[in-house]
This record gives sequence, C-alpha cells and structure tokens, in this order.
Amino acid sequence: MTTVHPPGMKPTEAITTIDLRRTTGIRAQVLRFMPIGVLALLIISVSVANPNFLRPNSLLTALDSSTPLLVLAVGAMLVILCGSIDLSVAALASMCSVLVALWVPALGGWAIPAAALAGAIAGCVQGLVHVIAQIPSFIVTLGGLAVWSGIGLIVSGASTIGVTGSELEWAFMRLGPARIPSAALIALAVVGVFALVLWATPLKRWYEAIGNAEPAAAIAGVPVSALKIGAFTASGLCAGLAGGLLVARTYSGAPNLADSLLLPVVAAIVVGGTAITGGYGGVGRTLIGVLIITVLRVGLSVAGVNPSYEQIVYGSLVILAVSLTIDRSKFAFVK
Amino acid sequence: MTVQEMIAEPPMLEIVDLRKRYSETVALDGISFEVRRHEVVGLIGENGAGKSTLLKSLIGLVQPDSGEIRLHGSKVKLRSISQAGAAGIGMVFQEQSLIPNITVAENILLGSEGSGVRGGFYRWKELARRAQVQLDKIGCDIDPRAITETLSFADRQLVEIAKVLAIEERSNGEPVVLLDEPTSVLDADEIELLFAQIERLRKHASVVFVSHRLDEVLRISDRVYVLRNGQTVGEYDPATTDATELHRMMIGRDAQGSHYHEDRQLPVAEAPVRLRVTGATLKGVCQAVSFEVRKGEVLGLAGVQGSGREELCRALFGAMALTSGEIAVDDKVVNFSSPRPAIREGFGFVPAERRTEGMVATMSVAENITLPHIASVSRGPFLDRRAEATVVKHWVEALRVKTPTTSAPLASLSGGNQQKAVLARWMVSGDLRVLILDHPTRGLDVGAKSEVYRLIRDLSDQGIATVLMADSLEETIAMSHRIIVMKDGEVAAEMACDPGAKPSPVDVLEAMI
Repeated sequence: MTTVHPPGMKPTEAITTIDLRRTTGIRAQVLRFMPIGVLALLIISVSVANPNFLRPNSLLTALDSSTPLLVLAVGAMLVILCGSIDLSVAALASMCSVLVALWVPALGGWAIPAAALAGAIAGCVQGLVHVIAQIPSFIVTLGGLAVWSGIGLIVSGASTIGVTGSELEWAFMRLGPARIPSAALIALAVVGVFALVLWATPLKRWYEAIGNAEPAAAIAGVPVSALKIGAFTASGLCAGLAGGLLVARTYSGAPNLADSLLLPVVAAIVVGGTAITGGYGGVGRTLIGVLIITVLRVGLSVAGVNPSYEQIVYGSLVILAVSLTIDRSKFAFVK
Repeated sequence: MTVQEMIAEPPMLEIVDLRKRYSETVALDGISFEVRRHEVVGLIGENGAGKSTLLKSLIGLVQPDSGEIRLHGSKVKLRSISQAGAAGIGMVFQEQSLIPNITVAENILLGSEGSGVRGGFYRWKELARRAQVQLDKIGCDIDPRAITETLSFADRQLVEIAKVLAIEERSNGEPVVLLDEPTSVLDADEIELLFAQIERLRKHASVVFVSHRLDEVLRISDRVYVLRNGQTVGEYDPATTDATELHRMMIGRDAQGSHYHEDRQLPVAEAPVRLRVTGATLKGVCQAVSFEVRKGEVLGLAGVQGSGREELCRALFGAMALTSGEIAVDDKVVNFSSPRPAIREGFGFVPAERRTEGMVATMSVAENITLPHIASVSRGPFLDRRAEATVVKHWVEALRVKTPTTSAPLASLSGGNQQKAVLARWMVSGDLRVLILDHPTRGLDVGAKSEVYRLIRDLSDQGIATVLMADSLEETIAMSHRIIVMKDGEVAAEMACDPGAKPSPVDVLEAMI
C-alpha cells in the first residue's frame, strides 16, 4: 500500500536532476556511463585520425596542458555540487597569475602557495557574501568575476608581467625517465586529496544533501552555511593554484591569462556528469570531464579545425550535457 | 419545469468509472458520481484518496487512463484548463491562483479578455465593466480596479469564484464550479461568508465542494460522496448521516481505539519535566508562551493557521530564532541558534513538508537515517561505513521500514516507510529526548498512520517528550496526554486528555477560534 503522490502534483518543487546513481531505468544507465563512453569514443577517433596521439609523449603533453583546467574544475565542481555556481574561477586565476608574477621576486617559489591563499581568501569572501547576504551565487560570482579581473588589471598595470629566474621551475618540469610533468603530479595530488577527503568524511553526502534539498539538510543539522563558504573557499584556492601553474608554464602572469578557461571548466564539470542543479557529482566524474575536453581540444586541432571554433563547441556542449541530465518531468518552469 | 422533466434531464456532470494510474500507485480506481443541476455535492476523503487527481482530471490537468466525463449527457475530453472552461467546468484552487500584482479585473478576465482588449491594448473601462458583471453575480463590492494583493485573503477567494463564474459566458449554459478545500485557510467568519456565497452560487451553477472537514461538508452539501483508495465507497444524504459515520467510511474502519493505540497511553503526571518552555516570544508570531512536557508525555499543540504553533515548534528546534524566552531540557537551559546544537542536545524534528524538508529524497535510506547523527557512525572525522551499515540495519528492522535495500533512494519508498525512516534518523544516537512532530501523518494512508501512532507510543514508553501538531483534531485528542490550544500567538486553553476522559473535538475547536 502506498500513498498517492502522482508526479506533477507539486508544481512548486525546484528543478531536479535525475539521480544517475540509483535510478535503474535504461536511460539513466545510459547517461551514467555516457561520459566514459564519450571519452573512449573520442580517444579512438582521435587516434584513428592521428595514430601519434597514443604515443606516451603526446599523451603526457595533453595531460600537462590540461592541468590548469583540471585544478579549476575540481574546485568549481564542489560549488556546483552544493547547488551554487562559481563563475569567477577563471578571472580569479588570472588575477592570481598576476600576483604570482609580482610576488616571485620577493617570495620565490612560495609565490604560488601565497597566490593560492589569496585565491582562497577571495573565494571565502564570495562565499560569505552569498551565504550571509543571501545573494544568488550566480550574481555574487559574476560580480566577483569583474572585481578580480579589475584588480588583476590594476595591479599589473594592464600588462603582462614576465617572470625570469628559475623559482617556479618545480611546477613546470619533466620528472624521471618517464618524463612525467610535475604540473600533472600537482594537479593529480589536488584531485586525490579532494577525492579522498570527500569519500572518507561525511563531506560528500553533506554537499549532496545541500545540493538536493537544502532545507532538509538544515533540519538534519548539516552545517549548511559553513559548508557553502567552504566550497567557495576551496574553489578560490584551486583558482589561485591554477593561476600559479599557468605562470609556471608561460613564465608570465597576465590579467586575462586564464579568462578563456571559464567555459571549458563548466563544460568539463557538466560533461563529466555532475548535475548543474547540484546534489550529484564528484571528483572522478570531473576528471573524466576534463579528459573529454582535453581530448576534444586535441581532436579539433588534429582535424584542422580553426581554434576560433572551440568556444562554439564548448558552448554547445554545455547546453547539450545539461539537456541530457535534467529531469524535465519535475519542472514547473525554467528560469 | 415539471418533476418528470427534472428526472429526464441528464445530470450536469457525470463521472463514469474514471481510472488513473501512476507507475507505482493507483490514484483513481474506478470513480463514479454525478452532479445534478443547482446541486452542491460534497466530496470527502483522506489524503491520497484520489481527490486531487479527480479534480485535476475534471479541469484537464490530468488525463485519465480510462472512464468517461459527461457534461449534459455527452462525453467530453478535457485537455487543458481553458478547454474545461469552454465546456463549463471551473475550479477555485486551494492555493489561490491569482496573480498578486495586477488588478482584480485583469485577474478575472485573464486569458479571456474579449472586448477588454483592442489592438493589443487594454481598454480599462471595458475590462472593469466586464469584470464587474462577474463580481455582481456573487454580489460582492470588491473594486475591479483594486490591485489583487491589497485584498484580504477571503476577498481574494471571492475574486477566484468570480473568475470561475466567467466561464459561464464562454460555455453554453450554467457552469460546474469545483471548490478544492476552500475553507482550509479561512477563519470562522470568512467561512460563513463563503457558505453564503455557495448558497448564492447554486442558483446559477452546480458546485462540487471538496473538504476534509466533515461538519462543513454535511452542512453545505445536498449529497456527499466518500472517496477511499481511488474509489467512490459511499453516497450519503446529509440529513440522515453524521460525521462519525462519514469518518468511519472515509478511513475504512472505526476511528477510535486500536487505530491510535490509546490503551498504551501511560500516566505521566508523576514523571519529571523534560522540556520547559518559559515566555517564548517570536516577534509578530507569538508572545510569552510557556508550557512543560514531562518524560513520556505527548503534548498536543492545537491551533488554526496563523496561531503561531508551527513557528514556535521551529524555534524550539533552533530552525527559527526566539526573540526572547527560555527553553530548558532536563532543567538545563538551552537556546538554540540552529538545528545542529538542538540535535546534539537530543532534539528531533519531523517537519510537515516531508519531501522537501524531512528528507533528502534522492539520497539512500541509509544516508538519510544517519544524516543528523553522522558522528555516531564516524571515527573522528572519518565515516565508519561498517558501523553505519550495522546501525542502519538495526533501525530499519526495529521500525519495520520496508525497503528493498538500505541503499535504495528514500524517494522510492512509500510515504509511510519514508516517514518511518525520517523518525529513525532521530533515534540513531540513542539519546533522543525531545521529539517535535509537525503533521507526522500527513499524506499517509490509514495503515501507515497507525504505525506512526504506534511509534509515537513506543517513544513515549522510552521517556521521550513529544510535542505533536497533528493532522486533525481527532488525531490530536487521541494521541495526546494534554492539549495546549494556541490562538493568535498565545496559549488560549489547556486541557487534560486522559484516556477515557478525552475532550470532544468541539471543545478544542471552540478554544481555537
């Protein structure tokens, strides 16, 4: 005997996404494994078009080039997991790249951790504004995007700041006989720490609870405000670190260095299978999403596509991925 | 019209064997009834009896799987509200459907402005005139140019009725007006006004009056149908039946005794005080409310909407901040700023909105059960998944939560089993002391309700102090040791509720309004 709860009877329910973990429908199962299938398909097509792609060296290069994206995406995923969004990550990374370039003469290699800290503080401020003033994260971080860009422009004097010397070498070198890029190791360490902490502690389910049903999470005693501020702080930390990694790659910091990464970051997160509406997602999925974007980028260049088209691809991809995972049967309307 | 003609005339509205199934649940299981001309028909049934689905079918929001809807003897297919309106069926929604920031006239004529619009522009005078025609039908003096949100709630309901009557001009002949729980948000005076309107309405319409307040249905209806489990289980003449009989029919068995496990109500007069609330004040909501709940006692909190009891209970749990006042548990003063410290002190809260507040629907049964007391299945900051599995298994069995596995999403369970899991989460720590229940049986079927009552009695045996806001007065009276009636934010009455000497619903109702 069950109570009658026909679908559609509660028109006020928020937008929800299909829970891919536990829903047993064929469509859900297809969607669940789709990211990894897409990745496999992409790798196969790119390597058919250009067999050189599968060589260790080009794989490592691809991995290396994707490290800023990976670090940014893992942080931003956490914010999306709790149902908010962080649009400021790329701008914040740009600002931090300027800070790193400015600080290297004084701090040496410590400029990167210092910039990560600056990023964390910026993220924390955004989180506080979002939580305490109850302003939608979309607006807070869109405003933040402009603020961090502006600060980057001001402190850099609107120019690229070169880094000379070898203080940042550790973040951009090839290690050992396998020639592993150190940036990739740093990024994977970040991913590993995030994944481990989320898995071993109640954090992951707390974030999922907030993303799925914030009022229910609050009633269950989940420290909603602190966790949200924490997510924005972590996202800012990752942005700062990504800025540092970019400086190490390019030997310079610039107020727009990472700006083009915003769309790929969001694309990687949703293509990996994290729900844009929150409540479902994870580090592993984000890693897969980043790999998809990376292989896609390589594939586009192998196919001889003009890089100008990349943004069009990412834009379409974001819309497509979200349209596949949103459960429209629970929509009252879409804002 | 002669008697013969009246008999020969087909009913205004006829429902024949209507069926509707949603994947797991049968909402309508062959409902049949008819509404005659100028008749007020009462429809009653518990939550989940199929009332909402039935009404939605009648206004084209839900497509039944089989069965017929006949208007004036001919079969109709209704695919939208406007189609239903054109056919002559309109509904006054329980949650009002008016747009607050536009005028009354605009609301009444929304979507059927006709000559009120020319060349894409509003002709305000014409609009007001046409709206006035509808308002005149119910004889009210609301200004069609008033902004809707400036009206009182009862006036807005009158506007809703006027809006529905506008379908009269669009369809051929007199309309059928569906009133979905129209009294649930009205006070006593407003209810009287509404009833006068219904009497007026029946002169040029047929009315279907849906309510779970049996006394009202009996008073206003010419005939009453009882719905249960998606079926019409009885047709009654209000002149020859009473509320008790209807209620029995509605829930499918005798309401008293075993259903509420009243024999298990333990004496608590000697028990030590567990929860003491002194001078609790929430600005604009309630003033200086004081009461005590003893160990093992169930305190019923009665009151109409706006009495402040819901807010007060949220404040006890820390989900709202008290302006002033003091809360003490086992003689220790605790004033909570958020639910987290309340949970640590052994408070539990079952909110009325189970699906949005009570549980995280997409998370598993296990994750939902351990969510508030996750520390009890953790070692330091780390989750102990093995300990969690053991704890969850224990409580799922103890509370008889029917679930395929503990990793199934909680949303996939039936309402009753969801609610049991929601109750289980507060017991996990083993130190539950105060349990606040806000409509814990809302939306549950009869069997599941009885199980929740049994659980409340079990908790009572363990010395837990319970504050109960129940779905109905019957439930409040049957489950409570004592009842506090709140009115306009103050304690209006307190009554003992000993087994065998329970107050009658009328006694409690009188204190409420």
